[in-house]
Amino acid sequence: MSSAGPTPAGNPHVKSLNCPGCGASLTVRSFGNAVTVICESCHSVLDAQDPSLKILQQFHAATSEDPPLIPLGSRGKLRGTLYEVIGFQRRTIQVEGVSYSWHEYVLFNPTKGFRYLTEYDGHWNDVSILRALPNLSAGEATLTYLGETYRLFQTAEAATAFVLGEFPWQVRVGEVVRFSDYISPPRVISSEQTGKEITWSIGEYSSGRDIWKAFKLPGDPPAPIGVYENQPSPLSQSVKSIWSLTGVFLILLLSLAVGVYWTESDEQIFEQTFEFNTSAGGEASFVTDIFQLKGRTSDVELTTTAGVDNDWIYLNYTLINQDTGHAYDFGREVSYYHGYDSDGSWSEGHTSNSVTIPSVPPGNYYLRIEPESDPNRGLIRYAVTVKRDVPQASFFGLAALALLIPAGLVTWRSLSFEHLRWAESDYSSPGDGSLLSTVGTIMGSLKSGDDE
Amino acid sequence: MTRVFFFVYGLIVLTVVAFAEYRGWSLNRVDEVLNVPRSVRDNPGSYRSVYSSYHHYTGGK
Repeated sequence: MSSAGPTPAGNPHVKSLNCPGCGASLTVRSFGNAVTVICESCHSVLDAQDPSLKILQQFHAATSEDPPLIPLGSRGKLRGTLYEVIGFQRRTIQVEGVSYSWHEYVLFNPTKGFRYLTEYDGHWNDVSILRALPNLSAGEATLTYLGETYRLFQTAEAATAFVLGEFPWQVRVGEVVRFSDYISPPRVISSEQTGKEITWSIGEYSSGRDIWKAFKLPGDPPAPIGVYENQPSPLSQSVKSIWSLTGVFLILLLSLAVGVYWTESDEQIFEQTFEFNTSAGGEASFVTDIFQLKGRTSDVELTTTAGVDNDWIYLNYTLINQDTGHAYDFGREVSYYHGYDSDGSWSEGHTSNSVTIPSVPPGNYYLRIEPESDPNRGLIRYAVTVKRDVPQASFFGLAALALLIPAGLVTWRSLSFEHLRWAESDYSSPGDGSLLSTVGTIMGSLKSGDDE
Repeated sequence: MTRVFFFVYGLIVLTVVAFAEYRGWSLNRVDEVLNVPRSVRDNPGSYRSVYSSYHHYTGGK
């Protein structure tokens, strides 16, 4: 893209001329500003600065083969300024034998000058010429412009394949420019080099719907395909805000945990040591004294500590409400084994075991205990402790996980978006597609978001 | 929209945790038996736990 300054302020100049090649009528909308104008009938590229419209080039093409999505002469408001579409070109690059084409529209306003729209696979950019040079880094992998860092995305040679309308530079079909795109979504800065001349432009991603609305075009814009180089991630702001909220909720959860551990009574209501003689025979089951669970409905934790050594004891427990006959049945094994073998010392199990009974109403309770063990074991001593209103750490762990999952999902989706973006890049750095580089890219975009 | 959804979601998670702690919920499940006769207290052998036939672990390494 090359640029030229506008004429002094005033109404659009529209002048009708005839093509010297075919005699067809030409409509020149930016008279005095266009450098070349293309005849729609015979595809002659004419010198708009020459009063006799000298033919500079002729090319063979049918206008219908690639009609502009926004017809020439369409007028629409961009950033509050009325522009008219006066030119259209298709550019093509070859990558590994595959042609990729995009479209560029030249817009003109008599006081504001030229502006451009580009379209590729339904992705639009609103482009204007840079008035100040960006600062390129030493390796030209990044540049900075107005305090914002842009990363090199691709470099290629683009050939003009089709032109129509008016252009503020000496356009030719077949003209080749070397361009580089540096991105900082939603913006892209492009350099176009022809010979020794370099033109810098800045584009901002626009939705097709906004373009359609601005130019009052009928129907719907073509749906975007894939992820474009400077397409803003729909999730980059969500990632930031959700992680912020996650942090707040995790702090609240921690505060809740501290509060629960501070306020829950963890009250011991029963403790007794028993002996079980495995060789005694007879009925092993027995009941304990009655103990009272006070306060509200709460959990009850029963801990069994047994003097087992390379041995086991199994206890059938029933916590029975003396008044209602409501009972809770459960069994716990306490076993502890240890030894030494060719791998060294080993151990298995523990000498104590705890179980939590959920939501036990207050009342008078007793335990029915039925111990079992190896009949040849002899005497086993074990202690039973009952506590009520014991904090459950597992809930806080699950809650932390539940809070992290949405943030993780949004981050993963954002990473996938960036992965798709950088998969189209020619450059392995910074977006080589690896998780680390993509995370770096996202962090960079979040930082850019902060700066805005 | 995502932020509002997550804000509500986070509040629900915290509320459920607070309620679970208050009501004494647990991830453990135990069998509940209704109307255990009072005679169990005098004759513990008359009641058999559902776990009495449990085949427990009896060995070490």
